[in-house]
Amino acid sequence: MTSAVIIILREVLEAMLLICTLMASSKAVNLKLKWLPIAIILGIAGALSYALFLDVISEMFEGFGQEIVNSSLLMLVALILAIHNFTVMRLASDNGGRYHEKVLLTAVTAAVAMAMTREGAEIYLYVYAYGILAGEATAVLSGAVIGAGIGLSIGTFVYYGLRMLSPRRCLLICSAFLVVIAAGMASQAALYLSQADILHAQAPLWDTSSFISESSLLGELLHASLGYEASPTLVQLLVCLASVALTVGALLFALVLNKRSEGDA
Amino acid sequence: MSMSRDTKKATKLVWKALGALCLVLQSLVAHAQTLEVELVIREHLFYPSEFTVPAGKKIKLIIMNEDNTPEEFESYELNREKVIMGNSRGIVFIGPLKPGIYPFFGEFNIKTALGQITAE
Repeated sequence: MTSAVIIILREVLEAMLLICTLMASSKAVNLKLKWLPIAIILGIAGALSYALFLDVISEMFEGFGQEIVNSSLLMLVALILAIHNFTVMRLASDNGGRYHEKVLLTAVTAAVAMAMTREGAEIYLYVYAYGILAGEATAVLSGAVIGAGIGLSIGTFVYYGLRMLSPRRCLLICSAFLVVIAAGMASQAALYLSQADILHAQAPLWDTSSFISESSLLGELLHASLGYEASPTLVQLLVCLASVALTVGALLFALVLNKRSEGDA
Repeated sequence: MSMSRDTKKATKLVWKALGALCLVLQSLVAHAQTLEVELVIREHLFYPSEFTVPAGKKIKLIIMNEDNTPEEFESYELNREKVIMGNSRGIVFIGPLKPGIYPFFGEFNIKTALGQITAE
């Protein structure tokens, strides 16, 4: 049962931080959380279809279908987070109209659904094969519930923590979180591409695993929240920096446009 | 509507730059030869669970999952993770590695499905 707890918690935690941050930021610009159930339903549908067709998908692209799908999902989410950062800042200073609201709603829904697709598929595969098929349903399912429960509690804590801040500060912190989450996703995408030998193999730039090992609890938490990587390669670092430039750039661009509209008024 | 001469020039330049970039990327790997290693998952264990590979070479790990259940090949040290469905085969490229020990595990059987690669 303990392994089930750990496996589920690892998957849930990554998606949870993203979901809670997006919930807090959309609340901070006075959007209702109506998008959330839609995103969750889409996410579950995505996860189920990804898991059920994983054998077919894995065979695609000369056996690297998984890597292609995962890295595409990760890079798309990183891109969507940049769009989020732009629209949310425009809306925050009343510069965004209905159009910006629609874009933001679509962005957060898509980001959550895509994140859930990736993490959820693994949860489904594990629970189905090792719980239901193996006749260990009680142990695995109760482990899964505990793991998901811990993940949900941490998420709730983060959400209410962010909601306690003033809307402006909340937005800035959410956007900063998303810059980091997007960077982690982009670097993960680069890893998938080098796993498939699409991005060419490189020796790592440095190795901090003796300092914080990725398999330690701290390393695991840092990996889930900040995309911590003990031994990144140059491509990974470049992709990561590109993502930071994009997400921070989107934010700054919105702030500049806001200033300009203030000047016009 | 026809493209202006400047736009055409600019597009050509961009393509040339992309081509050059590809060449540079290619040359980065040209020297690395790929070595193949086969790995089998049977009853949630890896065979061989320990093996040695030469350092500094790119390695193509071919992982056969002979079980009916899916497994996820994962390694923090190698920065790799891939789900290998039951009764199927998955390929994971690793390296070039520095000399050292690189543990790996099956995420769905973290207590038993353990192994390590030694690069020397």
